[in-house]
Amino acid sequence: MSDKAFLFDASRCTGCKGCQIACKCWNNLPSSLEMNHYKFTGSYQNPADLNGDTRLIMTFNEFENKASQKRVGNAITRRSCQHCTDAGCVSICPAGALFKDEATGLVTHDASKCVGCQYCSSACPFEVPRYTDDGLRTVINKCYGCVDRVANGMAPACVTTCQPEALLFGDRADMIAQAHRQVAFLKEHGYEDACVYGENEMGGLHVIQVLKYGVEKHGQVENPQVMGTVGAMNVMKPLTGVVAPLVVVGLGAMFALATGYKRNTLAYNNETQDTIALETGEVVKTGDPQDSRTFTEALTENLPFMEANRKKKQLEAEAAAKAAAEAEAAAGSEAQVQAADTAAATEEDTQEGGE
Amino acid sequence: MSHAVEVSAEAAASDAAFLEQRETEGTQRFIKRHSLQARITHGVTIICCIWLMISGLFVFIPPLTQMAGAGVVLAMRMSHRVIGLVYVLVPVISAILAPKGVLHILKVNLCKWTKDDKLWMGLFFPYLFGCKWIHMPDQDDQKSGQRFADGMLWICGILMAVTGVALLLGSTVVDLGVAAHSVLLFLHDLGFFLLVIFVMAHIFLGAGIFQPYRGCYKLMFGNGMVSESDALYHWGHWARRELESGENVVVVKKDEK
Repeated sequence: MSDKAFLFDASRCTGCKGCQIACKCWNNLPSSLEMNHYKFTGSYQNPADLNGDTRLIMTFNEFENKASQKRVGNAITRRSCQHCTDAGCVSICPAGALFKDEATGLVTHDASKCVGCQYCSSACPFEVPRYTDDGLRTVINKCYGCVDRVANGMAPACVTTCQPEALLFGDRADMIAQAHRQVAFLKEHGYEDACVYGENEMGGLHVIQVLKYGVEKHGQVENPQVMGTVGAMNVMKPLTGVVAPLVVVGLGAMFALATGYKRNTLAYNNETQDTIALETGEVVKTGDPQDSRTFTEALTENLPFMEANRKKKQLEAEAAAKAAAEAEAAAGSEAQVQAADTAAATEEDTQEGGE
Repeated sequence: MSHAVEVSAEAAASDAAFLEQRETEGTQRFIKRHSLQARITHGVTIICCIWLMISGLFVFIPPLTQMAGAGVVLAMRMSHRVIGLVYVLVPVISAILAPKGVLHILKVNLCKWTKDDKLWMGLFFPYLFGCKWIHMPDQDDQKSGQRFADGMLWICGILMAVTGVALLLGSTVVDLGVAAHSVLLFLHDLGFFLLVIFVMAHIFLGAGIFQPYRGCYKLMFGNGMVSESDALYHWGHWARRELESGENVVVVKKDEK
């Protein structure tokens, strides 16, 4: 089956709200019977916005319309799930409660899977997802596109009830073509701002709208985008999935490298301020000064090859010192002999002079 | 590991006498380090933290959720909220009961870094992979790395607590709006990511899985005391100060420990 879509033509809508009621009836969604329960919106719109029991509302945006004799324009719009192709709610839902219906491309849900995290509400640029609290659980409640009706060859409930045929349902390509024809017609009749909405937004919506007075007056979102945090959150999961095992591997390596390590037992003599290793009896520190080693010294002083190097250097130094001492001794004895000879010669001279 | 230090004959004699006396008496010194309240707060926080991580995974990892089924997930989510409140309230109550302890923690964690602190921090990662060869410099009440890691645990823990409470309120009492909700969720996820790393490292060292840190678990899960030897190895400057003052030192017969 090809992608399906709703077509809402604002220029045909009479604002009867039959679709709103049909949605409630089909889905068993109650409305409050209490007087003035819903806040007055100042227009024909009721309730003020979508809620846990209302998946579809008609909005009525009044504005000054100089072109009209009545001077007042009324932009009627259908507000419900837009069934995005690039649905942020689907990509962020951790429970798999929100998913795309493969047959139609509509964004549907399984409330029994919903964990009520409300991640989807943070991902939707149209602020559509709402939640029903049954006293025990809070679960998603939004338009599911009547996919069960569609699967059985029927149109969605809201479409079925629309008398002026402002709502249609069919192949998405057909709905787009129909929308463009209607916009062209409207433009010919002086509605310069009339436009098609939903053809390309969010990868293409599955609710195509003919907006008689333009995007802004109908209260639609200009250039809707999934919030940046959704992308960031989707990165966090694989990142955590990769980094956590890496940390475990790193810790495992540390553990393996430290195998067999046993440190000396230390004790502190208060009297001498010496820290003593009990196993060897050696004093390892006197007093409590700051460490005098440099970073490199501390890092390398005990490394096995550094130890060998140090011993080698120590032996070389000892050999050099020994050689120097021997040379000095040899030089000393030669000087002594020379001094003795000189002294003897001087004595002989003195004796000769005396004679 | 460390090199022997030359001492005067007098000092050497005194040290020999000290060791002999120690051996004859058969005693061992311990230093009191963590109060019972601190240990209880730590214990409750650990249990909460582990449970919050497990229950949080049901939201964080979709396949786990799908495998477990809606009933399990609901139970996990509800427990996440209840335990989350315990996780927030217990440290707050503990802090109210012991404001001096909070000030002490702040003081030792925010103190100026000495040369030894900087050297210790620089050597820490090489030491983790080469503890047999690298001798660490002495440390004060809190190691410099401990200050950094504890600081991160505190920051991440507070981040998780604040965002968690805000998310709870946002889904039950007030409507925070899509943007705020989205940012809070991201920060909650970020806090989880960081906590996973720092908690694993904390467990590896604090529970004494890492060989040079063997026995450290007793500090929080035992009687809160640290042996003289362990104290000198881990917090040398602090240990010497405590051993000299004797205020928190407990002498125990070796067979009594």
